[in-house]
Amino acid sequence: MMGIKGYFDRVTSIAPLVFFRVCFGLMLMFSIVRFWANGWIHSLYIEPSHHFSFYGFEFIAPPGQYTYILFALCGLSACMVALGLFYRVASVLLFLSFTYIELMDKSTYLNHYYFISLVCLLMIFLPANRSFSLDVLRNKRLEAGLIPNWNIDALKLMLGIVYVFAGLAKVNSDWLLHAMPLKIWLPARNDMPLIGPLFNYEATAYIFSWIGCIYDLSIPFLLLNKRSRPFAYFTVITFHVLTSLLFPIGMFPLIMIVAALVFFPARVHQHIISRLQSLAGRPKNITEDRSIYRNPALVRWIFISFFAVQLLFPLRYLAYPGELFWTEEGYRFSWRVMLMEKAGYAQFTVKDKTGKRTVVNNTEFLTPLQEKMMSTQPDMILQYAHILRDHYADKGFVDPEVYVDSYVALNGRLGKTLVSPAVNLSAQTESFKPKNWIKPFNDDIKGF
Amino acid sequence: MRNRSIIILLGITLILACKKNTNGPKTTENKKDRELILRYYADSIIIPAYDTFKTEFDLLKSSAENFAANPTESSLAALRSSWTKAYIRWQTVELFDFGPGEKYTLRNFYNIYPADTTGIKNNISNTSANLEVPASYPQQGFPALDYLINGVGQDDASIVAYYTDLSNGNKRTAYIRRITDRMSTLLASVMNEWNGSFKETFVSKTGLDLNSSTSLMVNGLVLHYERYIRSGKIGIPSGAMLNGTPAPDKVEAFYRKDISLALAKSAHKAYVDFFNGRSFISGNQGSSLKTYLDALDARDNTSGKLLSQLINEQFVLVESKLDLLQPNFHQQIISNNDPMKNAFNEMQAAVRMLKVDMTSAMSITITYTDNDGD
Repeated sequence: MMGIKGYFDRVTSIAPLVFFRVCFGLMLMFSIVRFWANGWIHSLYIEPSHHFSFYGFEFIAPPGQYTYILFALCGLSACMVALGLFYRVASVLLFLSFTYIELMDKSTYLNHYYFISLVCLLMIFLPANRSFSLDVLRNKRLEAGLIPNWNIDALKLMLGIVYVFAGLAKVNSDWLLHAMPLKIWLPARNDMPLIGPLFNYEATAYIFSWIGCIYDLSIPFLLLNKRSRPFAYFTVITFHVLTSLLFPIGMFPLIMIVAALVFFPARVHQHIISRLQSLAGRPKNITEDRSIYRNPALVRWIFISFFAVQLLFPLRYLAYPGELFWTEEGYRFSWRVMLMEKAGYAQFTVKDKTGKRTVVNNTEFLTPLQEKMMSTQPDMILQYAHILRDHYADKGFVDPEVYVDSYVALNGRLGKTLVSPAVNLSAQTESFKPKNWIKPFNDDIKGF
Repeated sequence: MRNRSIIILLGITLILACKKNTNGPKTTENKKDRELILRYYADSIIIPAYDTFKTEFDLLKSSAENFAANPTESSLAALRSSWTKAYIRWQTVELFDFGPGEKYTLRNFYNIYPADTTGIKNNISNTSANLEVPASYPQQGFPALDYLINGVGQDDASIVAYYTDLSNGNKRTAYIRRITDRMSTLLASVMNEWNGSFKETFVSKTGLDLNSSTSLMVNGLVLHYERYIRSGKIGIPSGAMLNGTPAPDKVEAFYRKDISLALAKSAHKAYVDFFNGRSFISGNQGSSLKTYLDALDARDNTSGKLLSQLINEQFVLVESKLDLLQPNFHQQIISNNDPMKNAFNEMQAAVRMLKVDMTSAMSITITYTDNDGD
């Protein structure tokens, strides 16, 4: 048995970490370029007249036209991370700029962006520039061939947490017993070549649901095990390529396919790096460098607390009454991916004591994406109600009252009222407390 | 070992899945084929509906030409009669606001009301007025004709006198011609596309992503019900929308007045028939949104009822509320607005089912957004 101290002292080759750094930086750069090229900076952050900030982060908002500079900064720091140039500064900048972007509007929230933010945070504390980097080229003394093994385990753990929680989230009656929402999503792709006709069969949705759940729960362990690793990685590729063909999930499949490489032993990474180095005319073997890097003592504790939070945070939904899928209290930042087909309709009425009354035209305030997200998520409905309250107060309404007529359908159930239509939302405040103005779901989704 | 357990699990799942299916015949695969549905819609509803409308419209156009050539009380009566028939028939094609109908924005040039009478008068004196711009929408189409044949005089004699006026009569009849010619050209453009290569494009884009036919069609249809049937015909004039103030002068066919119910009923029936795939040729039901929803087994899990059945029940409820209304919505709103509001409320319930339940079951994203506010 290896003791805890022994575990933290064990060293290993830095190759997997530096290879991860390069891939991660390049992927983020590509991600930013793709985002820019699709015109999303404008349509998601500049065009909308209002933004849905995160509770506690209301000071974070898109800086108008400067949003382009923010993205440029993020892309540039990603590039510097990939190159290992001014790594400390670059990694901090990358974390801050990327996280700032993600916090600007919750209608663009995606779990894999959250994953990237967290990895960026970890990368600040990892010695990923100590080899195969421009920093080493500038300053030979930085170079280290060996690092504490737990540095690499931390990345594996992060990936493992994502997969296992995503898998646990699928252990629920909608997913496993009713094959929802795949039963709805798959027939929509029945015109795909070759596999399309399969999606006409309900059984396919069940098989995909079960495989998806088993895949998520088991893949980190299969990747850890030397014997199952090649098979597991093959599954990773198949699974993520398939999901990217089926669903519009952007960069996520690529990120996971590349990130899972970290599970491979150092010699694989070393091999790739050597090839790259010989391409650049500087063949060198990282593992030949026997100098050891040791993290500052504080870093170990930062990581331990980080992972303690990571293990607990996705479980915070347990503290709320009501059905998680319905109220979405504790839904974000919990690795709940592709679990719901949720559609809604929300029509707001603003009135005041003096008899003024208006039915709100949502397009005056929100983009189609924002409206779609808002209409199914209670916290966004409340935020929007406050936007309306303030807007109509400026327009001469005296203490405007805001009411919503909402109708939401979840995973094939018929729609029903999400928010109590009798509650004046302008008088409700956001908090971490349960929102008692959400109407009960009156159904039971069993499981996690 | 691991592989074996996966196989066992899959086996269990398959059994579970198959067991669930024993309560219904499993011959639904081709009913989920969107290509068949799109082709049926094009061949059996959309194209024949345009054909039928064109027949009525051509009669309107020729009676408009007769009237313009010789304005008399009898040619006016003939024009009015063919206008009424064509307007009611228009309701059966207005819902096709996707593909060519959307491309040429047929509805915008055919039926934006209330008519802009000041604009119409200006256009009469300015024969080169631009009728392509959005500001000109309410200066043409059926609402403009409504004003021109029903609203320019107290009685038929004075309306005829308006067109036989020595100094301005010719310009006025020329504007009637200009409008009907324009409507004719636009209709021909739309129909040419449907009869030409567009139909195969429409049928071949079988996906459900943003630019696929089904998605564009369903978005157009839901928008039509929400904004042009519910809001336009009932919600806005009755004041059930917005600030609650009735606006009886915003009813459809305001100058003719007594056909507003007939127009609303025609539009609603066309909508229901489209949903159920009722062929314009045979009157039988075929592949449709209804059969697609049924093939997807979209149903209310608590009652076990099919979603398509629930939607149809709601349509029936709406029709029962429409039956309680006077033929003249203007009069109805002034004398007793409550039945209008009741009809609105039932339509609102139908909107929710179409916009949320139907699109969610079909996995279609609603891309248009509501603009019931302006």
